[in-house]
This record gives sequence, C-alpha cells and structure tokens, in this order.
Amino acid sequence: MHPLVVQYRAVVVKEVRQTVRDKRVMALLTLVPLVQLFVLGFAVNFDVRHVPTAVVDRDGTVESRDHARTLLAGDTLDLKAEVRDEQSAEELVERGEASVALVFPPDFEEHVLRGSGARVQALVDGSDPVRSGVAADAVARHAALRASQHLREQARVRGETPPRPAVELVPRVLYNPELATAVYVVPGIAAMLLLIVTTIIMAMGLARERESGTMEQLQVTPLRPGILMAGKVTPFLLIGLVDVGLALSVGAWVFGVPLRGNLGLVALATLLYVLSTLGTGLLIATLSRTQQQAFVGGFLFMLPAVLLSGVMTPVRAMPDWLAWVTYLNPVRYYVEVLRGALLKSAGLPDLWPQVLLLAVFGAMVMAVASRRFRKTTA
Amino acid sequence: MSAAPEGDGAPDVALEEVRRSFGATQALRGVSLAVGRGEVYGLVGPDGAGKTTAIRLMAGLLRADGGRVRMLGEDPTHPRSQVRESLGLVPQRNTLYGDLSVDENLHFFSRLFGLSKEDFAARRERLLDITRLGRFTGRRADALSGGMYKKLALACALLHRPRVLLLDEPTNGVDPVSRRELWELLYTLVHEGMTLVVSTPYMDEAARCHRVGLLYAGELIAEGGPRELARRHGVAASNFEAVFLALVERRNGGRAA
Repeated sequence: MHPLVVQYRAVVVKEVRQTVRDKRVMALLTLVPLVQLFVLGFAVNFDVRHVPTAVVDRDGTVESRDHARTLLAGDTLDLKAEVRDEQSAEELVERGEASVALVFPPDFEEHVLRGSGARVQALVDGSDPVRSGVAADAVARHAALRASQHLREQARVRGETPPRPAVELVPRVLYNPELATAVYVVPGIAAMLLLIVTTIIMAMGLARERESGTMEQLQVTPLRPGILMAGKVTPFLLIGLVDVGLALSVGAWVFGVPLRGNLGLVALATLLYVLSTLGTGLLIATLSRTQQQAFVGGFLFMLPAVLLSGVMTPVRAMPDWLAWVTYLNPVRYYVEVLRGALLKSAGLPDLWPQVLLLAVFGAMVMAVASRRFRKTTA
Repeated sequence: MSAAPEGDGAPDVALEEVRRSFGATQALRGVSLAVGRGEVYGLVGPDGAGKTTAIRLMAGLLRADGGRVRMLGEDPTHPRSQVRESLGLVPQRNTLYGDLSVDENLHFFSRLFGLSKEDFAARRERLLDITRLGRFTGRRADALSGGMYKKLALACALLHRPRVLLLDEPTNGVDPVSRRELWELLYTLVHEGMTLVVSTPYMDEAARCHRVGLLYAGELIAEGGPRELARRHGVAASNFEAVFLALVERRNGGRAA
C-alpha cells in the first residue's frame, strides 16, 4: 500500500475512534440533529390560525351580529372579547391580547339594507406582519364574498340571471397541495442542522488538536498537511450523509415530507454541501487559536449563512443587493436541491446549476482552507 | 557516563547566531552551538532561558528571525525537508492523544512513519520492554502517571529509530525513580548511536550529558563538558548549580540571578 494511503487510513481510524469515544460529540452528531429536527419541524409553522379578535358592535343589529358571526366562524379569527368602543379595542390590541379589532359602526345595518356601502373597520396589529396580513386578508375575503352574494340576491329579486364574475380564480396547489409548512420547512432545517454540526465539529476538532499540542507532535512526523486534512474530513463526510438520511426519514415519517425525487442526486448534493461546510470549518480553525475562538467563529458564520439561504424566508423577498449575497452561500443551493428533488421530483437536468455551484464552492473553500492549513502547520 | 564520541565531520544539529523573538521578548539572542553524532548535549538553564525555543527551532516547529538552523545538514522548516524521517521529539507538554490507549498511540504514530506491520510488531515489543509499559497497553494515555506518559511519548518518538532525538524537559514532573529509569533508557539509545539534545532546568542532570550549553536570558553563557566547566570554577562536578550561579553572577556584573 502507498505510504500516503497508509497515513490517510491511520488518520481516518484515529478520528473515528476519538469521535465514537466522545459521547458528547456523538450526541451532537446524531441525536441532537434528530431531536432538533423533530422540535423545529413542529415549532416552525407559517400557518396562521386562531388570531385573537375583539369585536366592537356599535350597531347591535341582526345584520351586524350575522356579519360578526360569519367572520369568526372559520378558524382564522377567534373571538377574544366584545367591547363597547374603539378605544377599549385599541387598548386590547396595544396590550397584545387581541391582534385584530372589528368595529361595526352604528349605521351598519341601515347601509347594508340600502345597499349604500356599509363599512366595517378592522384595526390590525402591524407589529406581527404575517399574522396581521392573514387577518386583514380574512376580512377582505369576507367582504368580497358578501358583496358578490348581495349582487346575486339583488338580481334574483329583479328576476334577472345572477351575474358571473368577469374573472374567476381557480387555484390548484402543486407539490404541496395541503400547503403544510413542515413539508417546505423540514428540508431547510435538515440543511441548517447539517451546517451547524459539521462546521462546528470540524472547526473545534482541529482547534482542539492545536490547543492540546497534538498538532505539534504531528508536525514532526512525515504526515503531510493535505493527508491530515483529508483524513479528518472523511469520517464527517460520511456522518453528514447518514445525518441527512436520518433527517429525511424522520421528515417523511413524522412530517409527511415526500421523497419523490432522485435520492442519488440528493446524496451527491449532500456530499458536495458537507465538503463546503467542513471546508468552512477548517478555514475557521486556521483562523482560531483556541476551541472557544473556533466556536464563536463558527457561530458568526452560521447565523448569516442560515438567514441568507432561503431556509426561513424566501430569497425573492430580500432586497436585490442582499439577494446577490445569497449566491455566495452553499446553504442556498443545497436547500434548492433538497426542495426541488424531494418536493418536485426535479432531477439533474433541472438542478445541475445548483449542484455545479455546490461543487465549485466546495472546491474553492477547501483549496483556500488547505492553503491556510499548510501555511499554519508547515 | 562514557566520554563523548569523536565527531565524523558535520554536526547533526547546528545553530549559528540564531535569534528569535516573540513580540518584544527576545527568546534567543544569537545562540550558536553544534552537536556531534552520538553526543548527549544538555541545554541547561532556568525557566524562560530559551531552552524550549531552541528545541522547537531544531525540530522545525519555529522559524528563526535571524541566523541559521541546521538539522542533519538541512533546514528543518523547509517543506521538502526529509529530516522528519530521522528526527524524534519528546515535547515538554503532553502532546499524545489522551483519549487513545498506549497501543493505539503507538500504532497511529507507526503508521505515520510508514512502518510495516512486522517492523511495528518488533519495535513495539522492544519499546514496551525498555519502557516497562507492557502491562499498560490498553490504558488510555491520559490515565497514565507523569512518568509513564513521558515514557510513552519517548516510545512514540523512537518508533522510527530516529538519528536525532530532541527531548524538552523530559524529566519535568517525573518522580526520582522514573527519572533515573528515563536516563538509563536514554543511555541505551546513545549506545545505539543516537544523538540526543536534552533540555533541563535541573542542574544535577547536566552531569549526565557529554556536553552542556548553559542558557540564560536567551544567551549561551558557557559551553563545555560538565567536569571541565566544574573544574574551571573550582567546584565538584556534582555541584553544578554552583557553576551556573557563578556564571550568572559574572554575566550580571557581580549580581546573582
């Protein structure tokens, strides 16, 4: 066997032994990602339901009560309190006890019966834009529905054919027909957890080698820095692959994430992605003297990497200049591959740009990291 | 201790006017020394004298700011230097893998030096025999006593039969019995033709070396055989501390260290 292969194997075996023996690292590599996936899969939910609502019915008529009942009938708005005036309603919103207040004016029924444009005021708490947007949308939908019902009723009274709307929207949701948040979020969480685990483990592992002095012992052997690096990276590449397998199994089993696409493509993208995250961990380690510095460095990298990846918020929603930054982020490409392959059955013909960019990023970060690593260990 | 062997020409280890600083601190100020083949050279001096810096420069772990370092005729910091194949280092700190066993550490380092399985088996047996670690092969390195740990570090450094062995305070924190055993072990290696550079803060260990270099505040204030240095200062070789204190006093213009 070639001496370099012998050295490489020795480093791999040593890394595996040390990793398996360190119960905390083993937990960090296997159990923690699974538990976090489980918890975050349930916790991260964009479905807005049961918005606490205050009602101010200053009309107190059959018509106003009927409208209020219809508005609160679904599971979007929940009646929190009925209050006498707008000021009391505003106070409820200010204290956070209600997110929406519906105000029916004293002449509400009269305007409805006359067909002269009755108004319901909706006071919406804008400090939670998602929730208030959904609540405002629910009120608007109710108004549109009632308007169309009113027009049809009037036509029926006049003995005419009820008018049909000029444009009718018939939505059909593809890939995730139930619009379940978990289906969209779980692949993102898997990418995020893999990033955290591999970057931190690599950065701290190498920093520990330097801090404890073992690196110095290795430097007086004929072991080349490149072989040491390859040997250290290999076990974590495989662990990363296993982690993604576990995460997707839990995702499918617990959260109903479909596994439609080419799993070979997912495995390839995972390997390239983990190469990037490990390379970043290595780079952070070359810039750190202690494990503590490596940990902080890893954290400072991970936070923007997750936020600028599309895992939590869509890249399309970011300002243009910030969206450009996401092109430098491997997490973005990996999440696109996971979501594309798993949810849309997209294959290499659709996702090759992302896979190629993952490979380019992985190769570049590894090259820079190994250059620095050689410099700092030569 | 037997007399120093006659050198056959170029020294195995040479420092020529070597200077090295860490920030504003000058660790070595133009130190020159040469260690011949099969010699036991003691770098003796108090803490902070520059002993560890000198050893690290010889091992290629540091670059000199000025002057020249030669190990077996090569610059040990050169990336293509083959010197690592012929060099062993026992650092002052515990630098083995504490979470690996004695045997696993030996096996790991043997693979890095490219030893075949047969060679490793033979050397492992001999090293475990001379270090008396045979009964502890399954014990984790971080569970060994100070003396046993040093012996394991020595065994790991000797696996590839280096021509030069650098030892940085190998007896530091080691009990007197283990200390004596360690020196006996070092003599065995010298008899086999190895060159040894040993740093130590213990003056009594100077007498165990063929030649000593007395380091003080980054300067080599004296060099020679221990008996010769003692004779020069009119004290017994066993009282080497008196030699050292006299030299420091002279350097400081009459003031002791």
